[in-house]
Amino acid sequence: MADCARKGRTRDSMDKSITLPPDEIFRNLENAKRFAIDIGGSLTKLAYYSTVQHKVAKVRSFDHTAKETEGDPLYEISVQEEITARLHFIKFENTYIETCLDFIKDHLVNTETKVIKATGGGAYKFKELIEKKLRLKVDKEDEMTCLIKGCNFVLRNIPHEAFVYAKHADSEFRFQNTHPDIFPYLLINIGSGVSIVKVESEDKFERIGGSSIGGGTFWGLGALLTKTKRFDELLQLASRGQHSSVDMLVKDIYGGAYSSLGLTGDLIASSFGKSATTDKEFSKEDMAKSLLHMISNDIGQLACLYARLHNLSRVYFGGFFIRGHPVTMHTITYSINFFTKGEVQALFLRHEGYLGAIGAFLKGAEEDNPNQYSWGENYAGSSGLMSVSPDLNPMQRARSGTFDMLEMDRLERQLVNLPLLQDPSSYVPDTVDLTEDALAREYWLSCFEDALDGVVKRAVASQPDLPQAAERAEKFRQKYLHKLQTLRHQPFAYGSLTVRSLLDTREHCLNEFNFPDPYSKVKQKENDVALKYFQKVVMSLEKLSWEQRQFALVKGLLAGNVFDWGAKAISDVLESDPEFGFEEAKRQLQGKNKNLTTTRYFCSFTFIYLGPPHKCALFFVDNSGIDIILGVFPFVRELLCRGTEVVLASNSGPALNDVTNSELQILTERIAAMDSVIQTALKEDKLTLVQSGSSSPCLDLSRLDKALATVVLERHTDLVVIEGMGRAIHTNYYAMLNCESLKLAVIKNSWLAERLGGKIFSVVFKYEVGRWWSVTL
Amino acid sequence: MADCARKGRTRDSMDKSITLPPDEIFRNLENAKRFAIDIGGSLTKLAYYSTVQHKVAKVRSFDHTAKETEGDPLYEISVQEEITARLHFIKFENTYIETCLDFIKDHLVNTETKVIKATGGGAYKFKELIEKKLRLKVDKEDEMTCLIKGCNFVLRNIPHEAFVYAKHADSEFRFQNTHPDIFPYLLINIGSGVSIVKVESEDKFERIGGSSIGGGTFWGLGALLTKTKRFDELLQLASRGQHSSVDMLVKDIYGGAYSSLGLTGDLIASSFGKSATTDKEFSKEDMAKSLLHMISNDIGQLACLYARLHNLSRVYFGGFFIRGHPVTMHTITYSINFFTKGEVQALFLRHEGYLGAIGAFLKGAEEDNPNQYSWGENYAGSSGLMSVSPDLNPMQRARSGTFDMLEMDRLERQLVNLPLLQDPSSYVPDTVDLTEDALAREYWLSCFEDALDGVVKRAVASQPDLPQAAERAEKFRQKYLHKLQTLRHQPL
Repeated sequence: MADCARKGRTRDSMDKSITLPPDEIFRNLENAKRFAIDIGGSLTKLAYYSTVQHKVAKVRSFDHTAKETEGDPLYEISVQEEITARLHFIKFENTYIETCLDFIKDHLVNTETKVIKATGGGAYKFKELIEKKLRLKVDKEDEMTCLIKGCNFVLRNIPHEAFVYAKHADSEFRFQNTHPDIFPYLLINIGSGVSIVKVESEDKFERIGGSSIGGGTFWGLGALLTKTKRFDELLQLASRGQHSSVDMLVKDIYGGAYSSLGLTGDLIASSFGKSATTDKEFSKEDMAKSLLHMISNDIGQLACLYARLHNLSRVYFGGFFIRGHPVTMHTITYSINFFTKGEVQALFLRHEGYLGAIGAFLKGAEEDNPNQYSWGENYAGSSGLMSVSPDLNPMQRARSGTFDMLEMDRLERQLVNLPLLQDPSSYVPDTVDLTEDALAREYWLSCFEDALDGVVKRAVASQPDLPQAAERAEKFRQKYLHKLQTLRHQPFAYGSLTVRSLLDTREHCLNEFNFPDPYSKVKQKENDVALKYFQKVVMSLEKLSWEQRQFALVKGLLAGNVFDWGAKAISDVLESDPEFGFEEAKRQLQGKNKNLTTTRYFCSFTFIYLGPPHKCALFFVDNSGIDIILGVFPFVRELLCRGTEVVLASNSGPALNDVTNSELQILTERIAAMDSVIQTALKEDKLTLVQSGSSSPCLDLSRLDKALATVVLERHTDLVVIEGMGRAIHTNYYAMLNCESLKLAVIKNSWLAERLGGKIFSVVFKYEVGRWWSVTL
Repeated sequence: MADCARKGRTRDSMDKSITLPPDEIFRNLENAKRFAIDIGGSLTKLAYYSTVQHKVAKVRSFDHTAKETEGDPLYEISVQEEITARLHFIKFENTYIETCLDFIKDHLVNTETKVIKATGGGAYKFKELIEKKLRLKVDKEDEMTCLIKGCNFVLRNIPHEAFVYAKHADSEFRFQNTHPDIFPYLLINIGSGVSIVKVESEDKFERIGGSSIGGGTFWGLGALLTKTKRFDELLQLASRGQHSSVDMLVKDIYGGAYSSLGLTGDLIASSFGKSATTDKEFSKEDMAKSLLHMISNDIGQLACLYARLHNLSRVYFGGFFIRGHPVTMHTITYSINFFTKGEVQALFLRHEGYLGAIGAFLKGAEEDNPNQYSWGENYAGSSGLMSVSPDLNPMQRARSGTFDMLEMDRLERQLVNLPLLQDPSSYVPDTVDLTEDALAREYWLSCFEDALDGVVKRAVASQPDLPQAAERAEKFRQKYLHKLQTLRHQPL
């Protein structure tokens, strides 16, 4: 999809015919219902709600009443069709509107739809055309209400929606965390004119100010001064101009700075001041630049004054004047910094262009209660944020001639913060922001590229009986490779680039081509093997002295975590040497970690010498097989024996070889059948299995299943264990919790190990007691 | 004087030679000391302090120890010479600066003067010329400090200095009373750019904001758009234009008002918005008008935001963009009314153009403690506030080619409020304001005209022994008659 869009972009953007296959743009149209359209001055944004049928891997326990045969798998895996809800947003130039409407009409099967919600200035103009073409009644919605509704929606549902723009910084875009409480904020919408809106709650907003000096003024005056009629061209002219040849600067009047008033010499005293008295001709570039500065500074000052008057610190900018244009984002940012002396930051939105369409859609879908669900951006179906400096490749970003897409999946469950987060508003899940760290970015992009062949092979192997597995896998390869290439050039395309977003994008792309769970068979096999050793491991632990046992448990937990197909170093070994066993892993760890005795000390210190047993431990588990069965369960068993309740949190959906909630249900039943401690705990509700709400190998503690959050509070959880590289190192390494926490992982990546000052198979064992102290090994 | 200025005004204002007799402009130059000069982008303002010798009538009681004779008068009357202090301010175009300096040099008798205080952007540019011509050391003073000092001075000393402008009202200018306490206030100086200054006391002020969209922007963009290079002509173009052909109005987008947001259909949604997508040619007049609205509204909104942020209700506007131009005073007033919903009034100053020169002068005269005296405007030596709508007689008010004067007499005694006044800030001494009452104005102007002959006769009769009494009385008659005629046309 993005591939096609790319091709389109390199064509002449004035070309009015659609060169993209519309069926790759208007996806899932056959099931579409609830249309909304936002027609602006030059761009149309269409929104619809559709259902997507896709394959999911299901596990089902075999009937155990029948006699078990050695070698029979523990559970059955089946691939089923599932239908999920998805929101589609498409943006295209108004010139394509008729062609697009025709296409929609031809493909729209659903006949329930009677109405299309419309907003934007153009809704009025195109009303008849839409009604004639689509035979839907156009139902107009208030433009500002839609805009605000859409803004609230993206701020709440899309992590890294808002960003700060810094032209000369290492990373041009610095993404902001989703604040749990998004209100109040100021929205400065710079369309033809400027509207300044104070938003206080979901339904309460007020236009507190505005200005007639906006995008239309830049465009209109620019056209008169330079005879250049296109907005994008005017911006390009401006980006090449020197404003100081047209503007009168402070130093032009006073010969230097006007220090007693704190005015620097380079400050613009009078926009276009030089053209008042000079007779010379000014270049188009210089005039366009001067105009841009004049308008941006003016809006910046107004924004800052209104923010101060209303005591607001979050100020978002949108409208076509801003919409991803680095030039205007830079001048607005500069102006806000200047006027607020850095106290207020100018914030921009990745999906700003869609706000009106999203809002109109939400108005129409109110009976479906879209706000009660959580939504997630689908990286596979969404074009990313467009590029950088216009000098680099102006045609590539001439968005006027292209289609741009955003798709959002409705998540089955509502997501909330982990209630134990110390400061939800400052919580950042990701440890390294790859947009800001070029070296790390290069490494990880290459790493994911290198691993791609293996993933493709695995995907094909996972579906020996399904049709076109090889073709689909190849398509997946192309798509993910293209995403990686895009990210290499535009690291900020989907918000902050992180190891997590790279992993998640891969999962989204796999799902896109119906590889819902490529590791299902591997997991199944590993689980089967590990289960056979469970009792043996437990028995050998029972024989140890109390102190030795604590040590062995921690060692087992870490050794188990070595078995990770997500890590290339391990998958290579597992591929070539299936005998690489649990004992071998322990030996490896022992060799690399001479300080495990210290680990033992702190381990004991933590759990034993500091007061009574914990009330409840929340354990975020990682891999299936040896990890969960021989590493985690014995540890859990020990906790249960001490009288600590345990909540095991596992993924809702598959990711790599991570154990999913449904798999864990089956595993736990089987272990319970062998082990009375587990059995009793289950029966007495001391051991609870919950799903995390995530389908990622990483963990975002600000987007967890609501049921999990409820359990955590009810059980008075006072210990959180986070296991694995994805959950404890790539994310949450720096997460601060209100209770004791233990983050442990084996570093199965030599580059990362070196970065953290260790070697491959080094152990991270990070124990923290609330806000007071922490120990890292 | 005003007569001469009038004549000058009707000439081609581009004429660079001085056609006015300079000795009627630079009055009392022979006794002048303490010079100050404020050189702006196009106008020079000169200030000096001088002494004036004039006749006063004195009365003296006879010696009552001597025997009184029936029929002897109660006291004796004599006419004596007295010397009083007077401030002179003269404004002229920068093009005349050399001629003026030459004239001053030739007539400057007082040799005590060693220094001339200078301010304004041009002080820098003309420094050498002034030092060469006048052989005075140019002593530069901070522009903003001078401006504020001058502003404080006129607000305190000139009754009816500040006024509200109302284009369509009976009286275009509504003068404000001098508040006993002039602080705090906001001064919006619209020169090339805009400075927004909060003034809290005589010595405390702060530039709290500013904007690069000011008079220079109107002039500069206007010149580029209309090929009209003169500021006054641009204003005239603007006053004839229709902004709605260039601006995108709310109704152009939404077909009417956007009621839920409280935006009327005629509100400008986007300045120059129509020129973005329309290919037609726009008239110079319409573009100039759109530009004027854009800039005035922007400044109005900024002014109102700063006033609210700093809780200030008195907002004075000055700078060359404003300086007596009805067009800009109207758009600024409109904008302030719009943004503050009438809570804040835009105030303008009669002598706004002199503020810098007054301030620079005061800086130089600090040892004379000018602020300890009260000063009074001398109506005979001052040109009045210039006219009205530019349509009436554009050339008449093309002040660019003229000289303009303000003279202030130092009063011997400091004047204050009667402490028993109930509300000094709302006290208005005059019972009828003739500017607002056309009938009464007509009656009283005629009345004074009719009485003039009698006054002249009386004046001549009062000085049977003094020389040229008849000639002087005739000159008085001419001058007063001319003032009355001026007031008939420009009651302000």
